[in-house]
Amino acid sequence: MFYSKQKKQFQILNRRTFFLTLFKLGFFSVIGWRLFNIQITNSGKYKTLSKNNQIDVEILYPLRGLIKDRFGIPIAKNIKVFDLYLVPERTNDIELSLKHLSNFIDISFKKKREIILLSKKVKKFEKIKVFENLDWKTLEILEANKNHLSGIELIQDYQRIYPKNELFSHLLGYVNKPSKIDLRLPYISQMPSLNIGQQGIEKSFNELLVGLPGNREIEVNSSGRIIREISKKPSIKGKDINLTFDHKLQEYLYEKISKHKAGSIVVMDIKNGNILSMVSVPTFNSNLIIKKPNINYWNSLLENSLSPLTDRSVQGLYSPGSTFKMIVAIAALKHKVISFEKKFFCEGKIEFGDRFFHCWKTKGHGNMNIDLAIKESCDVFFYNLAIKIGIDKIAEVAKDFGLGQIYPLEIPNQKKGIVPSKQWKKDTLKESWYGGETLIAAIGQGYVLTTPLQLAIMTSRIASGGKKIIPSIIKDKNINNQNFELMVKYSEPLKIIQKSMFKVVNEQKGTAFKSRSDSFQFSGKTGTSQVKKITLEERESEDFRKIDIEWKSRDHALFVGYMPATDPKYAISVVIEHGGSGASTAAPIAKEAFNFIKKNNLS
Amino acid sequence: MKLNKFLNLNYLFIFIVILLSIFGFAALYSAADGNLNPWSLKHAIRFIIFFLMMIFIAIIDIKFIYKYTYYFFILCLCLLFSVEIIGTLGKGAERWIKIFGFSIQPSEIIKVSIVLALAKFYHSIKFDNIGRISYLIIPVTIIIIPFILVIIQPDLGTSFNILMLGIIVMFTAGVRIWKFLLGFVVFVVSLPFMWNFIKPYQQKRILSFLDPESDPLGQGYQLIQSKIALGSGGFSGKGFLQGSQSYLEYLPEKQTDFIFTLIGEEFGFLGTIFILVLFITLIMISIYISIKSSHLFGRILSAGVGTNLFLYVVLNMSMVTGLMPVVGIPLPLLSYGGTAMLSIMISFGLLLNADINYNLKKIES
Repeated sequence: MFYSKQKKQFQILNRRTFFLTLFKLGFFSVIGWRLFNIQITNSGKYKTLSKNNQIDVEILYPLRGLIKDRFGIPIAKNIKVFDLYLVPERTNDIELSLKHLSNFIDISFKKKREIILLSKKVKKFEKIKVFENLDWKTLEILEANKNHLSGIELIQDYQRIYPKNELFSHLLGYVNKPSKIDLRLPYISQMPSLNIGQQGIEKSFNELLVGLPGNREIEVNSSGRIIREISKKPSIKGKDINLTFDHKLQEYLYEKISKHKAGSIVVMDIKNGNILSMVSVPTFNSNLIIKKPNINYWNSLLENSLSPLTDRSVQGLYSPGSTFKMIVAIAALKHKVISFEKKFFCEGKIEFGDRFFHCWKTKGHGNMNIDLAIKESCDVFFYNLAIKIGIDKIAEVAKDFGLGQIYPLEIPNQKKGIVPSKQWKKDTLKESWYGGETLIAAIGQGYVLTTPLQLAIMTSRIASGGKKIIPSIIKDKNINNQNFELMVKYSEPLKIIQKSMFKVVNEQKGTAFKSRSDSFQFSGKTGTSQVKKITLEERESEDFRKIDIEWKSRDHALFVGYMPATDPKYAISVVIEHGGSGASTAAPIAKEAFNFIKKNNLS
Repeated sequence: MKLNKFLNLNYLFIFIVILLSIFGFAALYSAADGNLNPWSLKHAIRFIIFFLMMIFIAIIDIKFIYKYTYYFFILCLCLLFSVEIIGTLGKGAERWIKIFGFSIQPSEIIKVSIVLALAKFYHSIKFDNIGRISYLIIPVTIIIIPFILVIIQPDLGTSFNILMLGIIVMFTAGVRIWKFLLGFVVFVVSLPFMWNFIKPYQQKRILSFLDPESDPLGQGYQLIQSKIALGSGGFSGKGFLQGSQSYLEYLPEKQTDFIFTLIGEEFGFLGTIFILVLFITLIMISIYISIKSSHLFGRILSAGVGTNLFLYVVLNMSMVTGLMPVVGIPLPLLSYGGTAMLSIMISFGLLLNADINYNLKKIES
């Protein structure tokens, strides 16, 4: 009985096993059919699809190098910014997403419409940029409310920023998208939307600052969606640039010169040619130029009649005025046209050719030798020198002392200035030189034009006893004392000139005597360059200089100087446009600058 | 006696098992771009160890196995519990447990123990009693407890696998059809109660698993890639090591769940059908052993082992060919992964043992 029961059970079991076997084979058939379908019937389709997955190379943009001042303080750096994107495929309703978003950020109706229209055109995984450079406050709000927002994505980017704002704008320039011509530059050819330097040091050092692009090989399917990353080579950050500028001095000088409408100050280290500071007013703020939209700011800069975009330190051309007298004196001493003792009598004017040449001191200086003539800045004395030496010898010395030339500085668009000579006039104006023009040139007027940078270099070369100092703006750690070529031929004349320049500041009757300092000694020379021709009537009216003249007609005020008076280390040039006189306006600034340098014990 | 057992081993079965594992070795070698590391070498070592274990299980006394079947089931259940407890203690969703430095996935092992336990249960009861409702309680418990423990891990694929396995084994044992229908109704009705029974974080885990939005790229996308790889393999494939790899790179489990796709790309339709035929042969052998067994334990055990293999193969292949949503089911002997191989090799050992002892009259000692 037991066995029959088991037999019956086994029959049931066999039946069920048979049924299950069919069931299993059925499933396997379906899988076999499916495999046949995919691998044989539709193989062609899948082969095509497999080929449409292609490899794209995405360029990874490098981070731009920093620009630092001499203490390593960044004056151009990069900050993280966030851009807001909308990804259509991550939201069910774009309009609703935008509506939610507008609870936190203002989105104009027009912008909303544009985004909605755009979202219908682009592929659903493509990101649509809604906002650029969100500020931190907005970011925080978005972050806190991200649960209420759908379809938005924040993507990190970097933006160039100038921490000192307008302080270094002329020197640094700014960055912007490359122009078509820029794109031919080999180091950015792969990166059409990389911001590159468009002015100033940012431009000169583009190649170093840009760095090397990296790349990412990505596989993209036929509709353009990124499937995966195959390989990644990170970008290499651009090199940092260390400049010779001193941000504290820059800040101080900027503050001083800002009291005037326009002008420039250049301070350099005589020992190594390092430029410590270069300010030029009016200026602009590179940060505001970078920040889009910038059209209003641009227009305000372009409409400003004082042209804030001009870097007066290297682009402003000024008649050097009396600061040019050193050059004439050196030429005279070098060529032994006069002796130290030789005196001329100044009665306020001198007749040459068929006209009178006036001294600034209408009453005249009386008997003047070269020393007194520099100290009191007697024009008549230099008229006499000019007649004796002629323009060409003056021009030769002017060039030796750095005027009329462009320096190999990494500051673009320097102006060359003019050192006139007979040949120069023939070449450029197709006219021959008149003797009277030599007299005007001898007091730094007429054709002579210099930049504040050139004046600072001239001063350095005088102060160093005739070293051919070359300016530099790149900090070189190894070199504190540069061995510049010494122009031996000027050694004797310079000893005399340096003494005279000392007296300008430190002796009674010296033109900058009021600006002397008790705590340190510096030497220098004032200059007042005429902007408007003075008419005879004006000159004859006793006190024409005291009349409140219209700003634009006022003289430019200049001062060049160096400190300390013995073994000098710092040279300065100050130009204040329409500042009145060098003694009253420019010399005090130089004194304050030296005082600041002294106090802060600058290296 | 022992030597005799060696002679009685099913060598066709063993040969196919070795052949499949070699295929797995080659596929994993290719998946690693022609490298033994990180997968294929380990795969080979594991296979050799588990193969020896399979032979050992095949030749030990079937009475011994029969005796300790329930203990084995309870041990596996404890492991599964401990995984759930560790998960509860805050480590999040876990399927693994470390034993002697080895990571083990108890949800894989439990399948063998379920088959064994059910086989013993139906062997031990009188055939008359199968019809009684009260005799459903134990087998249903044997199936439902692991099912619940695995579904809250949450591992929907494996829990479904367990449920199907249990149902098919009970069906093989002769349980009436209407009881399955009743069970189905009870299951559906009790779903809301079960839902309330489990903890909120477990509910959340299951919901996030069921929520397609949680996978932004979309499983459908993975499937398209799998199909492109298979389809571009064509009839004879691109050749060994010639697969583009590119479709598999972003399949998260190319070395485990999607290994069949890789074989399809490199060996084409010929390769996939060959693998399929090998698996069908193994299952047919298990059915043959089941039918010829003179005792219920051997019958149900063999059928259960075959069904277990069938479920693995069908679920995995359906998944990679897009017949079914993507759930984590490996392909035995081919996919990389220790526990699944351990589980399947234990079951093969049991099957071979049942084969050797097919004519045994009495199992109870």
